[in-house]
Amino acid sequence: MNRFTKHSQTIILAIFALYALAPVYLVLLASMRSESDLFNGPLSLPWPIETANYLRVWTESGFSTFFWNSLRISVAVTILVLLTAPLAGYAFAKMRFRGREVLFAVFLAGLVVPAPSVIVALYGNLQVMGLIDTHVGVILPQAALLMPFSVFMMRTVMQEVPDELIEASTMDAATPLYGFLTVVVALARPGLMSLTLIVFMFSWQEYLLPLVVLQTETLKTIQVGAASLQGRYGVDYGGIAAAGLIAFAPLVVLFLAMQRSFVRGLSAGAVK
Amino acid sequence: MSSRPAYFFLLPALLLYGTFVVVPILQVTAYSFFSWDNGIVQEFVGFANYARLASDTVFWAALGHNAIWVLLTLAFPLLAGLLLAAMLAERSPRTIQVMSAIYFIPRTIPLVVAGIIWGWIYNPLFGLLNYGLDMVGLGTLAGAWLAEESSALASLNVVGAWTFFGFCVVIYLGAIQSIDPSLYEAADVDGAPWWRKFRDITVPLLNNSTLFLGLYAAIEAMRFFDLIWVTTQGGPGYATEVLTTHIYKTFFLVGDFGYAAVLSVVLLVIVLSLSAVAFRLLRAK
Repeated sequence: MNRFTKHSQTIILAIFALYALAPVYLVLLASMRSESDLFNGPLSLPWPIETANYLRVWTESGFSTFFWNSLRISVAVTILVLLTAPLAGYAFAKMRFRGREVLFAVFLAGLVVPAPSVIVALYGNLQVMGLIDTHVGVILPQAALLMPFSVFMMRTVMQEVPDELIEASTMDAATPLYGFLTVVVALARPGLMSLTLIVFMFSWQEYLLPLVVLQTETLKTIQVGAASLQGRYGVDYGGIAAAGLIAFAPLVVLFLAMQRSFVRGLSAGAVK
Repeated sequence: MSSRPAYFFLLPALLLYGTFVVVPILQVTAYSFFSWDNGIVQEFVGFANYARLASDTVFWAALGHNAIWVLLTLAFPLLAGLLLAAMLAERSPRTIQVMSAIYFIPRTIPLVVAGIIWGWIYNPLFGLLNYGLDMVGLGTLAGAWLAEESSALASLNVVGAWTFFGFCVVIYLGAIQSIDPSLYEAADVDGAPWWRKFRDITVPLLNNSTLFLGLYAAIEAMRFFDLIWVTTQGGPGYATEVLTTHIYKTFFLVGDFGYAAVLSVVLLVIVLSLSAVAFRLLRAK
């Protein structure tokens, strides 16, 4: 590759890095800016650096509560999916049973079902079950909506576990479940890690379900909180920036710490 | 071997999925054939609710916006992802890892927050975009990006692209790295320039990834809601109305159960058909 091509490509790569990072950087700056500093232009360095925005949204606007609510819901959804999807994925990958094709097709179809398309019935059902305005009312449908992706991914993961190892384990073990727990889970650990991260991320990012299910202020999640802060105090930009940062920082940190696991999970199902 | 253990393994996932996804889909379909009053079912009306689609201009506008969204996504983030991946693949492993991480970061940012951030960038008074245009002497191009019908949808698509192009880079990179390097070496011996190798080797061998990402983008374009809801809520006017926001408004704001169900069924039929096409095409490969 000649020098000119190489340098112009470097510039293009850099421009897109800027496109990816500039908005994040902008929020970071805005969150540390005091109100009087705002009109010095969006790129001026905030000075003095303010932590007041964080303190204000964390304590006064209820973001500590929103944060823990989100954490509670996302952890619960993740655990629920981890308890169910690997078993189902394993059944589809390694076990023979009647109706396998049909059941798998039913799961596959769900891969693309968007929450807004079922909300019309789901909302009424949650009311009947008494789950409106409860965290359980968010956790169960969310885990269910993530189930097709999770089962599909777990099936791919489980297919890679060698049959001989499974046979050996089921011969020793008293029940299939015991064999599954001891051998399969150990061998599928990287896949389970990816699933954990992806499900946690999707659940943390979710907006529609908590928006319509939760009504009490102290039950709301961080995404709903961030969105409503924008509407209510349209001028508190420092506060909104700090809230936005709190709403995405955990995911960015998780991603940077475990990039490989993340990418493996998200590209599951993609063809090479 | 009996089927019993398998059903036992499937039961928990199936129970959850059935109760909160499959059953609601069946209900929504049933709801769409009834007339409703204040959330109480009245009588079977056949396809009468569906007949309203024809004269619902908002529905057709929304559908058009979803379609435009698909095209814009294919034109920008997908193509950018392909080019960036091809350029990046020739760099050192360290560079590849760092750069793909950077490109991927926006994908981890919730669309709600993405909407808030970009809402500012587009802000006509103090937003970064107008500020930047002003600085380079293009101040006349400045506008109220999200508040004008002509620019709102395209401006939002830039936000969608922002969260999506890194995903394309990652998928394409994986595929490029599995291409046999001897193909490129042979082309180098012939003295082929970069763009010829890109056009004649990389692009044709990535057909499957392009197909996957294209269908993925199309399905996502039908499903998305958060970004629109936190920024424009479908406005100004109906300039950024999409199917999901139309459903939300029809159900939660108007309380028109029967018609909201019809719109839900339409959305389901579209995404399910797209995914059926996707599986047929991708499996055939």
